[in-house]
Amino acid sequence: MSEPVQRRKLVAGPLSKGDKWFFRTTSVAAHFAFVLVALVLAFLLMQAWPVLQSQGFGFITGNTWAPDQKPIVLQLGPMLWGSLLIAFVGILIATPMAISMAYLIVYMLPKRLAKVFTTLVDLLAALPSVVIGLWGLLVFTPIAATWAEVLNTYLGWIPIFHVNHAENGFMRSPFIAGWIVAVMIVPIITSVTREIFSQLDGDLINGALALGGSRLSTFRKVILPTSSGGVVGGVLLGLGRAVGETVAIFYVLNLTMDINWAQLLEPHGGAVASWILARFGEATGTEKQGLMAAGLVLFVITLIINYLANFIVNRAQPWRKN
Amino acid sequence: MARALANQPWRKANNQRRFEIFIASLIPLPLVAYISISQQLNPILSFAALFLPMQLIAASIVGYHAYGRRGVGDAVLVVVTFFFSAFVLILLLSVLSSVIIQGSRAISWQFISQNNVYVSPTTSLDYGGVGHAVVGTLIVVAITTIAAVPLGLAMAVYLTQSQSKTRNLVRTFTQALSGLPSVVSGLFILSIIESTHMGRSGFTGALALFPLMLPTVARVAEEALKLVPVDLRYAALALGAPNYRAFFQVILPAAKSGLLTALLLGLARVVGETAPLILTMNPSSSTSLNPFSGGMSTLPTFIYNYLASSYETSQARAWGAALVLLILVGFLFGLARFLGKNKSIKSKASK
Repeated sequence: MSEPVQRRKLVAGPLSKGDKWFFRTTSVAAHFAFVLVALVLAFLLMQAWPVLQSQGFGFITGNTWAPDQKPIVLQLGPMLWGSLLIAFVGILIATPMAISMAYLIVYMLPKRLAKVFTTLVDLLAALPSVVIGLWGLLVFTPIAATWAEVLNTYLGWIPIFHVNHAENGFMRSPFIAGWIVAVMIVPIITSVTREIFSQLDGDLINGALALGGSRLSTFRKVILPTSSGGVVGGVLLGLGRAVGETVAIFYVLNLTMDINWAQLLEPHGGAVASWILARFGEATGTEKQGLMAAGLVLFVITLIINYLANFIVNRAQPWRKN
Repeated sequence: MARALANQPWRKANNQRRFEIFIASLIPLPLVAYISISQQLNPILSFAALFLPMQLIAASIVGYHAYGRRGVGDAVLVVVTFFFSAFVLILLLSVLSSVIIQGSRAISWQFISQNNVYVSPTTSLDYGGVGHAVVGTLIVVAITTIAAVPLGLAMAVYLTQSQSKTRNLVRTFTQALSGLPSVVSGLFILSIIESTHMGRSGFTGALALFPLMLPTVARVAEEALKLVPVDLRYAALALGAPNYRAFFQVILPAAKSGLLTALLLGLARVVGETAPLILTMNPSSSTSLNPFSGGMSTLPTFIYNYLASSYETSQARAWGAALVLLILVGFLFGLARFLGKNKSIKSKASK
């Protein structure tokens, strides 16, 4: 007679004490990410609450910033709109450049040159924004101003290239700020697009070419449709960065509360992040709280954009899942 | 002969076609230059309205001649791609060359080593320098690194070594943090300063850099750890090693260079941050070694302060400091490149 088999329970998971502590520590560290995001939101909200309460919805829509007035009016409308406008211009300029660069690196250059170009693009990403700002102010602004002048002379009849007073010059406009932002987000979009391009099925592309397609038709009908999700995600990542850009825009843009809807060459505009930097020096009391509120709004906007961007990028890159 | 080739696209370009392509890519430039100079056209206008279309047409003709209709599509895409990519490179080279040319005028040993105590905006470049700012940058960034690197590494370990259910959530929040605008990070620390009545010092500046460095380190370290073959870990576990020893004795050594890359890219990310430091630190023109009280200057804030004035020597100082900063960033970046041999780590560099 056989003895009854003693069933053993399989125990999965860390057994030793050391392992328990190992995983506990890393888990605590990992969840610090939540804590940090929560802390940022909580502290900013705490400081900004009185202003948000007294200003109401007008904080986002209105266009008066009068910290000396009684009662104080703090409204951020032109800056918010300006941030979006500049980011949009930046993306319009950066996206074709970034996609071309990615296409060049992945499909046209020999391997060794492709590596060099990848390094150069990453180097552009590593340039500090204050250096870009310095270059933008002292080197690029005069050049871009002449571009703006040409645009205005020949395409001035299009409303966005129209200026009210051409004698004011073409410096410190959203157009130039858009270019500066474009310089900073080209590498982000390039690196996402490059990664997606390089993971595309080579047979698909060769097939299209074998069927008699040209490079152009293959690009338009095969490469772009299959990679569009990831490219859009990369563009959104760039948008997130563009909206939060501070120092570089601060130098090249004339910040005014006088709203500039879409006259790109007009020498005034707005950007929330740069506005915070510009006002911070003189701000006291309530105005400081108003700037905290501006930071809060900025953070919420970038959170939403980045969440969308990462969602799209992650879905477009299934090979990154572990 | 050329039309016959149109039906044989697999054949390599022969010398005649190479010659045609060469001519087509060479002719438009002098032609446009001649027209725009003789007609006194605006150079930008002639470039956009003359050179580009001409180059497109020339390339299309050669393309058509060589491959028929599909050659036109090839030509258009190649020309457009080269044009835009060249533009990116021109912008990059313009930034680099102007910093190097303008900066090298200001830079000297004395500029790197001295501080700015007796310097006014008009003082000649023979006096004063960025020594105090270099020291300040090193101290502030060192404090941030001491806090952010272990934590970022622990996060990466959690994401790669454990099987917990909250990993995706942690990853999402890390990504959210990596999109945190630097000025908001500064405001965050500023609001802590305001509510706790802590003094502004080098330490608060380091705190403001912390949320910016952490996600970079965590992400790149995660990529580096992912690259270690999982079999190594299983082998260690099967030999009876507990998880922590498998990590410290097997995975950590295997991923060493990738983790160093994470550290360096994190450093490169924060070393040039300006806005958070302006909000959370008081500038100083003397050398300060104490991060817990008093003002402290860093390279980015130095550039920021000097660029604000319109004196020529001040701007020269800003350029000089920018060159020093660029050398610092380039050094970190080059080292990261050198260590990070794997492709997928590198591609994270710019995100």
